Amino acid sequence: MKTAAVNRLRGVERDIVQAPQAGDVAPYYEPQSNEVAIFEAAYKKRLPVMLKGPTGCGKTRFLEHMAFQLNRPLVTVSCHEDLTSSDLVGRFLLEGSETVWQDGPLTRAVKAGAICYLDEIVEARTDSTVVIHSLTDHRRRLTIEKKGQEIEAHEDFMLVISYNPGYQTVLKDLKPSTKQRFIAINFDFPGEEIERRIVLNEAAGISPEIVHQLVAAGRKARMLKDHGLEEATSTRALVYAANMMNAGLDPIAACQVAMVNPITDDAELADALMEIIQAHFSV
Amino acid sequence: MTEKTAIRDALGALKTQSVAAHREVEQALPDILPHGDAVTLAWLNACRALFDFDREAGRAFIRGSSEAERVSETVLPWTEQALHFTRWRGSWRALEGFMANLPRAFGSLGHAGERRWAEIGFQWCSRQIDSGSAYFSTPVIDLSGRQGISGIEQLSMPAEELFESRKLMLATYLGGAIRVRNLLGPQAILPWALRGADILQAGRARGEAYFRLESEESLALLLEHLPGFRLVDRSRLLAMLLDVWFGGTFELKESNWSPEKGRPFVETDGRTLYFPAVMGSRDEAILAVLHGAAHMRYGTFDRGAMRRMFEIAKIEFPTSGTVSWAPLFMRYGEDALRFQLIFDLCEDLRVDFRVHHEVPNYLPRLVATAQAARVHRTESAPYFDLALASVEGALRVARSEGTADARLMPLLEPHATVADAYRIATGIYNENYLPRVLDVEAFHAAYLPGRGPNTTRLAHPQEQQDEQQQQQAGAEQQNQPQEEGEEESEAPQNAESGDQQDSGKREEVAGYGESSGSAAQAAAKSENERGARGSSDKGVPYPEWDYRESRYKRNWSWVQEKRLSESNLAETSRLMKQYSNALKRLKKAIQSQKPTRMAPQLRQFDGDDMDLNAVVSYVAEKRAGRSPKADIYKRREMRQREVAVTLLADMSTSIMQHLPEGGGRLVDRVRAGVLLFAESMEEVGDSYSIAGFCSKYRDNVSYYTIKDFEEPLSQEIRSTIGGMSGRLATRMGAAIRHATANFEGIESRRRLLLILSDGRPEDYDDGGDRRYLHEDTRMAVKEAVAKGVHPFCITVDTMANQYLPQIFGQGHYLVLDHINSLPNKLPEIYFRLRR
Repeated sequence: MKTAAVNRLRGVERDIVQAPQAGDVAPYYEPQSNEVAIFEAAYKKRLPVMLKGPTGCGKTRFLEHMAFQLNRPLVTVSCHEDLTSSDLVGRFLLEGSETVWQDGPLTRAVKAGAICYLDEIVEARTDSTVVIHSLTDHRRRLTIEKKGQEIEAHEDFMLVISYNPGYQTVLKDLKPSTKQRFIAINFDFPGEEIERRIVLNEAAGISPEIVHQLVAAGRKARMLKDHGLEEATSTRALVYAANMMNAGLDPIAACQVAMVNPITDDAELADALMEIIQAHFSV
Repeated sequence: MTEKTAIRDALGALKTQSVAAHREVEQALPDILPHGDAVTLAWLNACRALFDFDREAGRAFIRGSSEAERVSETVLPWTEQALHFTRWRGSWRALEGFMANLPRAFGSLGHAGERRWAEIGFQWCSRQIDSGSAYFSTPVIDLSGRQGISGIEQLSMPAEELFESRKLMLATYLGGAIRVRNLLGPQAILPWALRGADILQAGRARGEAYFRLESEESLALLLEHLPGFRLVDRSRLLAMLLDVWFGGTFELKESNWSPEKGRPFVETDGRTLYFPAVMGSRDEAILAVLHGAAHMRYGTFDRGAMRRMFEIAKIEFPTSGTVSWAPLFMRYGEDALRFQLIFDLCEDLRVDFRVHHEVPNYLPRLVATAQAARVHRTESAPYFDLALASVEGALRVARSEGTADARLMPLLEPHATVADAYRIATGIYNENYLPRVLDVEAFHAAYLPGRGPNTTRLAHPQEQQDEQQQQQAGAEQQNQPQEEGEEESEAPQNAESGDQQDSGKREEVAGYGESSGSAAQAAAKSENERGARGSSDKGVPYPEWDYRESRYKRNWSWVQEKRLSESNLAETSRLMKQYSNALKRLKKAIQSQKPTRMAPQLRQFDGDDMDLNAVVSYVAEKRAGRSPKADIYKRREMRQREVAVTLLADMSTSIMQHLPEGGGRLVDRVRAGVLLFAESMEEVGDSYSIAGFCSKYRDNVSYYTIKDFEEPLSQEIRSTIGGMSGRLATRMGAAIRHATANFEGIESRRRLLLILSDGRPEDYDDGGDRRYLHEDTRMAVKEAVAKGVHPFCITVDTMANQYLPQIFGQGHYLVLDHINSLPNKLPEIYFRLRR
């Protein structure tokens, strides 16, 4: 199964609001439980949705899949701590001797009726999260203060945010009044069966026995989360490891570079993770 | 005179001196005569000379001559050497040793080597005759360490230096030096000896104990330098592996093994896993830890199975308490070691097979490590081989590639127990084909790598529910009998701070815990007594949440804010020195990312206000016909401090405990952590305060302000931190409320309350109901959040997962599984939180 259309031009800029086109292939996604039905229901009523879960467990892929299925364009904004409301809503730029207003991605999505995805919204500055308050209740209104205008959202517009509840969000947590405005879907790492299917699909050509070991090792490695890892081994890391093996690297080395080195600098933790990997991959 | 005549004369003279000596000479003579008359005469003269010099010396010479001649096939060389001894008084003992060692000296060193050996010995005799005696009395094999004459020289050289400089006797040095050389290699002798010489200078007795390897210091040094895998430094790795493979926490403690005790093993008594400081290799160490945990987890100590085993043996099984394995083996008398080996072989196989189902690659790793090992004693080899064969068989069965030894197959069944192992072991023992094992070294050598004697400690049998508890880390342990037992043993430990009331804690609780009704009555009574007095001398009142009645009790807890009177500058200096590297690193890290921007950023592409200068330049340039960049905004200056933080340290009595892995008490780590935190905060520039708390009943919550927000970090405050100590109990809810109140008036965007804890919130008057103060603390946390203060709990209690999530919420606490990392981690955690 291909994960991208063959006839897309690569290396060329395109507009951020891109509707799915004929000939595109759906992004691959393995449902874990009833998340697809929940999202469809939320979309039916255009209710805003919050995707909660650790890094690399499929939130973004899920949304891409749903946007495709619902035939809506998807506008993604990766939030960071310097993200201001202007980055979302828009700003005045000086062009020539005139000031020109440029719509931000959120405004574009609101106008075009796209799904707007604010990834890791907790990182953004608090003035940007306030912007979404009026968008996420019955008013569905976006206020552009600098222009003194407001827009009633397109009837197909929908807001989705993602949120990773780790302890680094202790100080930067979303206010309860913000969280309450969303339908929340909890994501977690998939069950063993599903995870195997995902890895098999994303790293085509790898042998099922190796996938079996890989997923088992990943699940054991996740148990070390409480010992000092900031993030547990993600499904994405397993896919990377599988791809590295496909590229010719031996399994233990592939696991080390995909599953151990990126997530910790602590020598003891790295040691423990390597023990787990070696236990699964020593013949 | 012919030589023959001279010989006859000499013999005659000897007979006059001593009939016994003459008789011994006659016995030796046949071996000497073949070398010729001249040689015989020389030898006889030597006998007489030595006998004249010292009767014992003479007789030693005569007695040893036959053997010496036989091995060396000469007479004159060693005869001449023996005569050297007449140079020194009191040398007969040395000569005795010399003669006794001659055969081995010739045999293992050859003629040239023997000469050199004798030469070194004579030098020692010249220096000091007792040293010479020690030298010659030590078996040559020990001296050389199988390295020939160079081994002897290696051993002697440091001693020569030490004798010159410190007058260290060879006798004191030799035994220890040999052991050090055998354990650590020849290169370790000199550093060890130099260290010892320093200690010797400090005190004779201490120094001599060091050299005899009797003192703690020398043992510690030995352990430090032993080659191999150091479990004592890697205990965190081992704990993590146990958590991953078996789930739950295991109590891991360092055992008191030292190299004299022979081969290192991991042992368990069903409750605790004891590991030696060092083991031969990493593989062996990890296999051993997993194997030990398997005994605890897979029923070696299951009470029911043990009882059945004792029934099979027809021995009475104690109804409660610890169980000794000894009665099971005593019936075998001198053959007990042999039976133990067989029993251990069976039981080890049973649990190893179970482990393999949980830990992939366990059995292949065991097989590979065993195949690479060497067995040092011949009588141990059959046991070792049998054990290895049994593991290979089990591996075949696991892979469905074949079968194992028919006698042992029942042990591979899922429901096999330790009683089955005993039964099968008895059967194998009765077949009576394995060799006898009589000494401990052979006994130890028979075990596969990772395995070891299972029955050396008193067993703590486990009930069925114990095993489940071990697995479910988050189980609520409210009403189970094990719990009370645990607590009773806790009380004596906690009494260290000298608080007499402490040991009475549990009794009081027992009396109190009937119903909330009686507690409320008693409480109401005391409130009436105190209601008359004002709040000033009683401190500040706070409400307390009673979950049973779902309401607040007004003015229930009273917090007295005080200053800590203790101060310990010496301790502070010591800690600063100990952690100076960590502190340097921290400061560098902080400096490289100074977080707050104090000046406004100008000429920005985007911002809150127009930068007027930039706008003017822009317009001017445009008019001039150029195309300037439109960076005309400025970002507002961040005048407000980012974060204000209070570090609230639990100062209850439990922090005074000694750490199980040694190296001091918990309070030492707490002091270090607070110190490093304070120093880092100075570097960062954020506003912070430090406080400690403890409590004794609801109206006596002491809140010790160590440093207020406005105060600078003075030397006095540092000394106070060095003097921090623990006493009394932990009424956390009241302390949190007070800390929250202290945030009032502090200007900052965010407020963080970091709580450093080592256990549950509890106090003497909680009626034995743990949940009471847990719930109150939970409410206090909620109140703090509502007031804009974010609590975050850092704990060193490894059981904290049972209660912290309910109190602080997921993601709002951190369990430090390694207490020694507390000082370094505390500032790190703060930075991660404030990012």
